[in-house]
Amino acid sequence: MVRSRFDSQLEQLDVEMIKMGALCEEAINASMKAFLENDDVAAQIASEKENEIDRKEREIEALCMRLLLQQQPVARDLRLISSALKMISDMERIGDQAADIAEITAFLKDNDTKSKVHIRDMGIAAIKMVTESVDSFVNKDMKLAKSVMEYDDVLDNLFVEVKQELIDLIGKDKANGEFCIDLIMIAKYLERIGDHATNIAEWVEYSITGSHVKMAMEEGNK
Amino acid sequence: MTRRIFWAIFGVAMVMMLAAIGLVFGMMNAYFSAERRDNLRSQAVFIGAGIQASGFEYLERMPISSERITWIDEDGMVLFDNKANPEKMDNHRAREEVVAAFENGEGFGGRYSKTLSEKTVYYALKLENNTVVRISELTISPVALFFTMTQPLAFILALAIFFSIFLALKTAKKITKPINDIDLEQPELAVVYDELTPLLRRIAVQNKQIYWQMRELKCQKQEFDTITSNMQEGLLVLDAQGDVLSYNIGAMQLMGIETSRAQANVFQLNRSEGFRRSVESALAGVHREETIQIDGKICKIFANPVFQEDTLEGAILLLFDITEQEERERLRREFTANVSHELKTPLTSISGFAEIMKNGMVQGEDVPRFAGKIYDEAQRLIQMIQDIIKLSKLDEKQSIMEKEAVDLEVLVQETVKRLEPIAQKKGITISVVTQPAVFTGVKQVLQEMLYNLCDNAIRYNYENGKVTISMENKEKEIVITVSDSGMGIAPANQSRVFERFYRANESRSKETEGTGLGLSIVKHGAMLHDAKINLTSELGKGTKMKLVFPK
Repeated sequence: MVRSRFDSQLEQLDVEMIKMGALCEEAINASMKAFLENDDVAAQIASEKENEIDRKEREIEALCMRLLLQQQPVARDLRLISSALKMISDMERIGDQAADIAEITAFLKDNDTKSKVHIRDMGIAAIKMVTESVDSFVNKDMKLAKSVMEYDDVLDNLFVEVKQELIDLIGKDKANGEFCIDLIMIAKYLERIGDHATNIAEWVEYSITGSHVKMAMEEGNK
Repeated sequence: MTRRIFWAIFGVAMVMMLAAIGLVFGMMNAYFSAERRDNLRSQAVFIGAGIQASGFEYLERMPISSERITWIDEDGMVLFDNKANPEKMDNHRAREEVVAAFENGEGFGGRYSKTLSEKTVYYALKLENNTVVRISELTISPVALFFTMTQPLAFILALAIFFSIFLALKTAKKITKPINDIDLEQPELAVVYDELTPLLRRIAVQNKQIYWQMRELKCQKQEFDTITSNMQEGLLVLDAQGDVLSYNIGAMQLMGIETSRAQANVFQLNRSEGFRRSVESALAGVHREETIQIDGKICKIFANPVFQEDTLEGAILLLFDITEQEERERLRREFTANVSHELKTPLTSISGFAEIMKNGMVQGEDVPRFAGKIYDEAQRLIQMIQDIIKLSKLDEKQSIMEKEAVDLEVLVQETVKRLEPIAQKKGITISVVTQPAVFTGVKQVLQEMLYNLCDNAIRYNYENGKVTISMENKEKEIVITVSDSGMGIAPANQSRVFERFYRANESRSKETEGTGLGLSIVKHGAMLHDAKINLTSELGKGTKMKLVFPK
């Protein structure tokens, strides 16, 4: 069987997306390692991964444009490509935020405030969401995509919890203020990463079924 | 096909139609013009006779007719015209039909109007008085006639198209049906057009070729599968795009993937960094080795590019599970580090005391105390080295240690007797409950095991504590239990106490003086005898060690 050029290009897109997803996982893993273990090398890796993710985004974007212009795809293929275009911008944001976290960790080295709040749990949850959203894309797994969307609530609740913990800490000792603000930023970044992972999962669902959760909700509101 | 047939049919229809129209037109035109000429001539003869008889009077009396009648004298001057004023008309001497009439007695002429839609036909007749009478008639030209027929022609064209399509569809179906019905498995049996026989014969030959090639490939694949499926190592064969062409069960097990999902791009199977790097490197044509982790397993990957005549065709990945190897390596490294550290500690003390003595800084009466310390440390060193030797012997499971029937009851009593003095120092009471039991094992090792367990029970006990040693001789196994009322082991440490040099409480290691190898020896001894060790302990309350020897 001779594979058409279009098919092989679509498959290439799939593979590139997987690679970009893997880079995102590595970026956030590295930044959490930098944060929790005060690992300078890991922080360096996180920022390198971010550059690599940006490069991959441009590559995939060019590939998508080529596919759209040259092949003029319709229906499912068009959905696949347009959702890929949306997904890579979410992935790129994940990479950015992972690098931002790694950058902040440099200021938090000699402080054990972080052990007093639940940021570690947030990191674990965010990593889980990113990994599972990429998995759902790789395996075209609707169930997993749905579970990622639902898991976002866990991360959001953790964020609220961490926020409260930090408020209490500042209340107890004002000297902690600066660290606490840095920590709240990291918590916020993690929370955003969770949102981007949710977006990815939503686009996975869209590329499979052709219906997008948020669009469907808006339709319902009308 | 249908289109081609359509054009063929339609083309033929069109050609035939045009030819028919042309032929009919030509013939009709010729016939009618001849008719018209005869008609004009007979009229002219008639009118000429009239003119000769009565001249102008005849002409003026003539009823108005559709034909135009002109009377011309021998100079070409128009004498009379029933449709125009003769005085305004120019000389007609040079007109084609007039010239012919003066020369031959009669002449024809024809002229088209400007639009070609009308044709005027002239007939001139020379009369006996040397004048010429000319009659002309207006007729529709053949071109105009053709245009008047466009409507019926269009109808016929539409009909032709319709029939052509219909016939084309029908014919195409009729022609292709027997071709489609050919059984390609047995083309030589098909009865169709003779023109197709060479093709069918060729298909038959190719079928045979394909069959044999498939068989050969299947055999090769089976061979390959048999070889690879029995491999412990994982094997993946990729094409240049990274799609999995072939895999073995080992690879899927190592990567923790169901075989149904294996036929995909390799990055769908695993996308971890090391894996990606090695695959990308191999697909770029460079060999690469990486160590990666998959679900807690440690894997070594060898990625090799595959070239065929200088072009990259794909890659071969070999995966080895090196978890155990890596674990052993880690333990060995730890052991070496620990041994050096543990051996160094007493040696440092010995060296320190000796140095003080060497420098003459010790008074005569203190010498025995210092020498005693040096002796104690040296003893500890010797003890430790002995333990290490025992362990390494157990490690190698040397055949020197021959198994014999050992009376465990006696062994227990002997051990207790040896430890009695130490127990008494701490005020610990040892109670023994035994049954007679004989076990086939290495006496020395069993003794060592019991000694270490009891020693620990005393060593890690509180003052005035209790140690209970019991032995049960069951049907299939002998169970020896050593329990104490000591300080116990925290749950987190329970799995690690059997490691070499591991001490549950690092800070107490000095005061309790162990080598850190005791339980390790027990574990290895148990392994030698296929016995199981069961540890239950509660921090601050005591520890219970159960040895289960199978009979």
